[in-house]
Amino acid sequence: MADYYTLVTCLPWLPEQMEKCTQLPLSRIALNRRLSMLNVEDQRRLAIAEALYHPTQTDTQPDRERVQLWQKQIAELPSIVLQDVITQRLEIQTLLAALRYRRRPNTSAEHFYGYGRWTEWIRHHWKEPLFALETQIDPLEHWGELFNNGHTGDLQFQMDRYFWQQLLAVERSHHFSVETVVSFVLRWGIAERRLKSDADAALADFQTLSDTLLHSSGIQQQLNSLFEDMNR
Amino acid sequence: MALGWAGLYGPMALGAIGSMIGCSLAGQAAAGALLETETGHGRYIGISAMPSSQSIYGIVVMFALNRDITPENAPGLAGIGLLCGLALMFSAIYQGRSCASAINVSKIRPEIFGMSLAPAAIVEGFAVFAFIFALVISAGIPA
Repeated sequence: MADYYTLVTCLPWLPEQMEKCTQLPLSRIALNRRLSMLNVEDQRRLAIAEALYHPTQTDTQPDRERVQLWQKQIAELPSIVLQDVITQRLEIQTLLAALRYRRRPNTSAEHFYGYGRWTEWIRHHWKEPLFALETQIDPLEHWGELFNNGHTGDLQFQMDRYFWQQLLAVERSHHFSVETVVSFVLRWGIAERRLKSDADAALADFQTLSDTLLHSSGIQQQLNSLFEDMNR
Repeated sequence: MALGWAGLYGPMALGAIGSMIGCSLAGQAAAGALLETETGHGRYIGISAMPSSQSIYGIVVMFALNRDITPENAPGLAGIGLLCGLALMFSAIYQGRSCASAINVSKIRPEIFGMSLAPAAIVEGFAVFAFIFALVISAGIPA
């Protein structure tokens, strides 16, 4: 496996705590330019890792086919450490999907399909509040509370923070290798998604605020009087 | 006799191979750091030259071992020269890696620059041990 001394040292610094990352240190275009130092095979593997770790919402494949594709793609990843990190990400995604699926009316454990070692376990413990997986994932109890209370934003934040720390640990335990680069890029992806969603949320807040102001009596009166003046 | 010649030139050749690899690793890291930082470029390049000292030790050991090679002294020359050369080669390679790590961390926090060089200095210390004791022992080899 190739070592990437130049690439790793030219990657910018991302904070240890996710919440301290208030802006991206460089653009995606600049990052891609640096990632071109990866050999062709590692670039392809990085793209697979990113697609698995940061899935898009446009994926409309049936669950079974999607899971089979994931299994095939994970087997192509260059190291066991990366396979483990991405597998765990997908397993937690499966767990979250199971919690959501169970909430829907007329659903049963038999029809649930997911990825990873816990799928069968989830089916067997369908009636348990957290599928009896509390001992497997430390923060699951807290996540369950957030999910049950409908605090999806907080839940997403806590999960992102968990994944961030996991990727940071991989990055620190591998020096100048493809694992370091992939972990960094996956962490960069988390930061990008969070900052983008923050920007979207800010825009939505601004729209709401401006709508509220436009419909408030004071501004409406001013506009009405302005129109009256113009009509005279 | 052939082993004697290998022992004579070994410290120099193996030390140089180690220095090439070590300087290359540290140099690659320095090149990456140049792209990411605004200042302190000189010290990154300086660190990347640290593993070159093993070549110098190798040259000195080679001169210390230099004598007419005979069946009596060939095994001694081979033992000291090749083992010293291997020690120098591995120390240069691992020093290069230590230097690359030092560059990587001091790029993020320049204030730990000095401390981050400690592992590379310790590796250098082991190369010095191999060098000094090769000189001491070479005195016992028949001329």
